[in-house]
Amino acid sequence: MKKSIFYLLFLSLFHWTPSFAQLDSINYLEEVFLSDVKLREFSTGQTLIKIDDSVTKLSRPALGEVLQFNSPIYFKQNGLGMVSSPSFRGTTASQTAVLWNGININSQFNGQSDFNILSTAGVDEVAVRGGGGSVIYGTGAIGGTVHLNNRLKFNQGFKNEVFLQYGSYNSLDARYSLEASGEVWSLSVAGARNSSDNDYDYPEKGENLNGQFYNNSLDVGLAYKIAPKNYLRAFSSFSHADRHFSLIRPSETPTKYRDVNSRNLLEWETGVSQFKSTTKIAFLDESYRYYENLSSKRFSFGEAETFIARNDLEYFGFKNLQLASVLSNTHTAGEGSGIDDNSRNIFSAAFLLKHQPAQEFSYEAGLRKELTNNYESPLLFSAGAKYRFSSFYSLKLNASRNFRIPTYNDLYWNPGGNTSLRPETSLQAEIGNSFRWQNLNLGLTAYYIDIQDMIRWLPGSGGNWRPHNEDEVRSYGLEALLGWEEKVGSGLLNLKGIYAYTASENQKTGKQLIYVPYHKATAAAGYTYGRWNFDYQFLFNGEVFTRSDNDPKYNLKAYTISNLSTSYAFGREGSYRLGARVRNIFDEAYQNVEDRWMPGINFNIYLNLNF
Amino acid sequence: MKLRKLFLFGLLGGVFLNSCSSDDDNVNPEPKPETGSYAEGIFVLNEGSQTAGTVTYLSEDLSTVAHEIYQANNDDDLGKFLQSMFFHEENAYIISNGSNLITAVDRNTFEVVGKVDSGLKVPYYAAVVGETAYVTNLAEVVNAPNDDYIAVIDLKSLEVTGTIAINAPTAKILAEDGFIYVQNSSYGVGNTIIVINSATNAVVKTLEVNDGLTDMEIENDYLYVLGTESFETIDLTTGQKVSEVIFTEDLQGVSNLEVEDGAAYFTLGNAVYTMAVGAAASPAAPVIEYTSNSQWGKMYGFEVEDGRIYIGDAGDFASNGFIEVYTTSGEFVKKINVGVGPNGFYFND
Repeated sequence: MKKSIFYLLFLSLFHWTPSFAQLDSINYLEEVFLSDVKLREFSTGQTLIKIDDSVTKLSRPALGEVLQFNSPIYFKQNGLGMVSSPSFRGTTASQTAVLWNGININSQFNGQSDFNILSTAGVDEVAVRGGGGSVIYGTGAIGGTVHLNNRLKFNQGFKNEVFLQYGSYNSLDARYSLEASGEVWSLSVAGARNSSDNDYDYPEKGENLNGQFYNNSLDVGLAYKIAPKNYLRAFSSFSHADRHFSLIRPSETPTKYRDVNSRNLLEWETGVSQFKSTTKIAFLDESYRYYENLSSKRFSFGEAETFIARNDLEYFGFKNLQLASVLSNTHTAGEGSGIDDNSRNIFSAAFLLKHQPAQEFSYEAGLRKELTNNYESPLLFSAGAKYRFSSFYSLKLNASRNFRIPTYNDLYWNPGGNTSLRPETSLQAEIGNSFRWQNLNLGLTAYYIDIQDMIRWLPGSGGNWRPHNEDEVRSYGLEALLGWEEKVGSGLLNLKGIYAYTASENQKTGKQLIYVPYHKATAAAGYTYGRWNFDYQFLFNGEVFTRSDNDPKYNLKAYTISNLSTSYAFGREGSYRLGARVRNIFDEAYQNVEDRWMPGINFNIYLNLNF
Repeated sequence: MKLRKLFLFGLLGGVFLNSCSSDDDNVNPEPKPETGSYAEGIFVLNEGSQTAGTVTYLSEDLSTVAHEIYQANNDDDLGKFLQSMFFHEENAYIISNGSNLITAVDRNTFEVVGKVDSGLKVPYYAAVVGETAYVTNLAEVVNAPNDDYIAVIDLKSLEVTGTIAINAPTAKILAEDGFIYVQNSSYGVGNTIIVINSATNAVVKTLEVNDGLTDMEIENDYLYVLGTESFETIDLTTGQKVSEVIFTEDLQGVSNLEVEDGAAYFTLGNAVYTMAVGAAASPAAPVIEYTSNSQWGKMYGFEVEDGRIYIGDAGDFASNGFIEVYTTSGEFVKKINVGVGPNGFYFND
């Protein structure tokens, strides 16, 4: 009994911290299925941060909240729960692609994902990969990619989990999930609700008015083993987010946004001799409504339906060599208040090769080309290599050309849409160094990104705005990832740290982009002692410019946030857990965006039951 | 910036591109000697972009410049997107359309006197008759472009005492002889001016003008109307058009009308043109062409007063802009850095 508790706690400890494993060191159990296998197989020369479910639960459920404390990505956030846009390696919000089980889910309208309406509640694993990924993942994979993955397992029997969290500002985070699996089938269902009055006090005067929100989601996964090497899998995700936009002053007009999203994926995987084929059909529906004045019922809207048919073919016939092709057709039909009914079709073909000629050396290469009437598609490539000099040191290299295609708004907004836009394209490279010494891991990555043809909306005649390929940006920087764990006393201590230095400048003016901090650092420490667990999270967000001429008078000052939580495992086998957290324990008064105060010290308690 | 927001901002920006002119010309009949830091001088209204707008003070000889004078004298700010300003007796009133706010300050010390903070929805411009301000409100900009209205404000109590529905886009508003003139266009689309009798607050007439109405001015019972392609003069005593110029092709798309001492001034791109009121032909050449690398903030503010031409340049709206001052004959006087998005000049005299 004692042993099993220790084992569970050990496992939980392991899971309660992000692991900065390089891809080739991630070992999945044979019977675990992850749709996004390309992430595991084709990331040579890049660095992956994997954040497990138990780590995401340390933060509020919004993806942006989780990544703020567990990744080098900087988020610009209009107050707690409000619009949250990423800047990954100094790039813009539409240059970070979000993948749901390998499918690109950035909005068709603006090319971005709002990281405060994406919930981690129904997701089994969040992974962050720095650097280019357009060859595999398509548009927007310039700064990096964020992966939301679901796992399905066989032979696990019946499992339930309830997670209930309640705290300051009447914030509720309630999740229920069920996993049931036998030898040939597997089912997972997860439902979640997250809501908050979000009426925190501002440091000097006033409170956050009209900031309330809720987010409901349902995620379902199903797998069926037809025969050996022959599987059918289905994933669905539904979410409904209703979010008011907070006011800076009470006299402002209250507004709100409603997002309803549905994502569905059906895959059939089959292996025949040395081939493995995965055929996927995906259907995505995104819709938003913007209520400009809550006292009237009027809204403007956008709705897009995307249908994707895709085949991934892999060939394992050569020794130590893997060949893969990805053929995909994406058809999108969308309309909205400013957009007439428009559809577009994009066919893409990608070819990938990975070779491991020696135990310590591997390399890969990939090419992608798209065919569409919408824009002139550049030939994209990626190349990566890894060499393990010793058990102590490995060197990684990666170079790629990536893009961000014009969005529905860019092309079809009426008036102003410009159908002669080119995609934004990047040429980028990175060098990664991995050091491993006993229980210590250190990763150091330096990168350079040159982005051309960035799309910007500018006014033309008659007050009509029109997008143009206008800006050029150059980003370079350094990312450091540190992991360490050690037995301290009779408990286990582990530490994780991330530091990012980011220089991102407009090539015409030579000025650093606004809202891109030079410095960002996070740290996490976990200590497990008997049935007790203690976690500490730390965030340092450096000073940012808010003016394009980098006038320091208007800079938003740096801030540091610390969160503390503790929990106690109880019940037979310690599978129940009761915990409490304090966020922003030093009550730091800070703004992430001008005039947008963030919450001070706040509290919550939670109960997690596994049965 | 999130693109949806950018659209909204863009739309608002488009609406707000029309610069305002001094509404004080007709309002302050008895100027008397004043004391206070900001008596006798020029206020530059800086619209603001990501954060609250500000006011820059310039002394009349342009030698003294004070930035953010409201914040300097009050523990507060003026709100988002400052659109226009007007004077009444001892006070100046600053309209913030992003915060649905009108802040009343002492015109000489800039200390806050009071605020109108309810009954407004995207307030835009104001005209004053007696103790009453008439303020155009755009209400829902994106979802209902025709729900604009006029808020009637008692300047003693700073309360909205009533509204006048317009059911069409509104912009600038002027008062003359007890009548209110409302520019009935948006983005230079529209060709009517609504006339309201301030005694009854009822619409009494709709004047039809040329297409592309972008700005209007009233001087000595004449209404001057600038369209994107024409300049008209209307005699308010008869309601008849007395003269008209249809611009040559190279002048189409003009905006920012000022009428001063018998001359009309307007702008196109980075150029200022002038012509005598009643002239029969378009001006052949600009009187000023200033240097700007702003992509959409050229001539963001424009004013002609006492022999000087004032130009506001908003740059990229993400950093501080500047103003340039010229004589009406086109000689450069001074360039002064101000706040974000300088969109108007107001004279405290």
